[in-house]
Amino acid sequence: MVESDNFGDNRIAVPIGPQHPSLDEPGCFDITLEGEKVVDAVIGVGYNHRGLEKVCESKTYIQDLYIIERVCGICSHAHSTAFCMGIEELSGLTIPPRAAYIRVIVAELERLHSHLLWLGVACHEIGFDTMFMFTWRNREKVLDILAVLGGNRVNYGVNTIGGVRRDLDETLTSQILKTMEMLEEEIKYYVELAHTESTLISRLAGVGKLSKEDVIHYGAVGPVARAAGIEDDIRVKEPYGAYKEIPVHMITDTNADVYGRTVVRILEMQESINIIRYCLKNIPDGAISVKAPRKIPAGEVIIRVEAPRGEDIHFIRSNGTDIPDRVRVRAPTEANWHGMKHMLEGGYLADVPITIAAIDPCYSCTDRAIQLRSEKDTRVLDWKELRQYGINFYKKQGIDISTLSAGR
Amino acid sequence: MNLEDEIAGKLCEKFPFMTDKIYVQKEKRIFTKPLSRDEFEKTIRYVHDELGFYRACHVVGTDDGDSIGLLYILSNKDSILLILRESVPKTNTEVTSISDIYPSIVLHERELVDLFGVMVKGLPDGPRYPLPDGWPDGNYPMRKEWNPKNFNKETMTYQQPQETEAQKNG
Repeated sequence: MVESDNFGDNRIAVPIGPQHPSLDEPGCFDITLEGEKVVDAVIGVGYNHRGLEKVCESKTYIQDLYIIERVCGICSHAHSTAFCMGIEELSGLTIPPRAAYIRVIVAELERLHSHLLWLGVACHEIGFDTMFMFTWRNREKVLDILAVLGGNRVNYGVNTIGGVRRDLDETLTSQILKTMEMLEEEIKYYVELAHTESTLISRLAGVGKLSKEDVIHYGAVGPVARAAGIEDDIRVKEPYGAYKEIPVHMITDTNADVYGRTVVRILEMQESINIIRYCLKNIPDGAISVKAPRKIPAGEVIIRVEAPRGEDIHFIRSNGTDIPDRVRVRAPTEANWHGMKHMLEGGYLADVPITIAAIDPCYSCTDRAIQLRSEKDTRVLDWKELRQYGINFYKKQGIDISTLSAGR
Repeated sequence: MNLEDEIAGKLCEKFPFMTDKIYVQKEKRIFTKPLSRDEFEKTIRYVHDELGFYRACHVVGTDDGDSIGLLYILSNKDSILLILRESVPKTNTEVTSISDIYPSIVLHERELVDLFGVMVKGLPDGPRYPLPDGWPDGNYPMRKEWNPKNFNKETMTYQQPQETEAQKNG
């Protein structure tokens, strides 16, 4: 905490970040306080910028697909769907109906795991760690399905130009339906909790307000906009792929605060379950991809898809070769940052972490691409080694847990 | 008449210069050809105040050889996207910020400043985005001539590529 001379006696400047325990990724929030109230906030992002768009201009379309999927660890499918749709439109490809349905199923599974993740993080931020444990346990079940389908927990690699790479079989379909049944029960409980749990409501209501007029003014998207009563869902407003045939009920709320955003996300999970069930019931048989040309005819395209965090826009310009001329990704978080200053101002310092978390910020999305690579000392631990590592770690802290868990 | 043609018609009626510059690409996508600075400024105020394009989703910068292309993507309540273009020569990249009309454009305009070297007049004060503070002046990574291979990450310096004998002799 820094006491600043510039603000007189009762103003204090608190820099939060770029590295801070309450932030999951690097971002810089210079908060000015008057007592406990936030009177000014300067937001600095850009710490994850890795020049993804520049890389895309030197690789082929199919190589770019790999990079685009890694724009974000959570909404990876939304980005790759937008990119594939753009190229398919430029080259005049129509993907098989089965592929379109599989894309929607994966997109909704992604929305489920993203919202469950968010709900856990949000509850953790307000000290409700039991709920955090519950939601993350549920999220694992969704990730299990995605891992079976795509071979990976977050970057599933399901999309390809001209369709999808993985098909659903009967075993997986029944696993999905079984998981949906379990999740439906759990989410019913969360809905009840959100409407009746007085601690949760009083902790979130009125925090991080962004009214309908402010949402319009600052151009917020996704659950942040829908929580303020704005009907903004690309799946409904500009249906793409199989969403043209699938009934989607748009969830909105009028609270316009963190509580509203929580309710919207919980109800959206119920809607995602309905969509997945509809897809599994009505999925057509047939091929899952068509052959795509290597060279894409010259043109420009702007594609919008509804990522879990909101509207995701991709601009692609092709020049007739197998390498794009320009790829531009406008991720939803990039749109939601503008209203953040307004949401923080007037609130309390203790509400800053949950207000930031409530837009479900993805710093990598904003800056596009993060590189996580260790040059040295990388090795895989087996279960026994990992256990031993844990025991040694705690021994150093003066706690010997080796006798407690000997039988496990 | 569909909504896209109606909007294009209103723009042509208000601004005669639009007649040969506006086109409906497909459903929910209206593009314009590059507008002059004066034309652009008049149009953007009109579409915001009168045509209900309340949200600026994005501004995309493109390297078009000798010039930088700017595509301003605006959206209305029907989710129709209107894409207004501007084009500025690389020798004089000055444009006017639209952040007074659309505050949601600030980050995207800052990105144009850092990555394309566009001089955006009227941007509010604030931290630069997205390049780090020590980034060397005159280096605009998204321009086609900027090659990441010539950039030294340790010293943060850009080595201009040497012209080969063959290139010198044409």
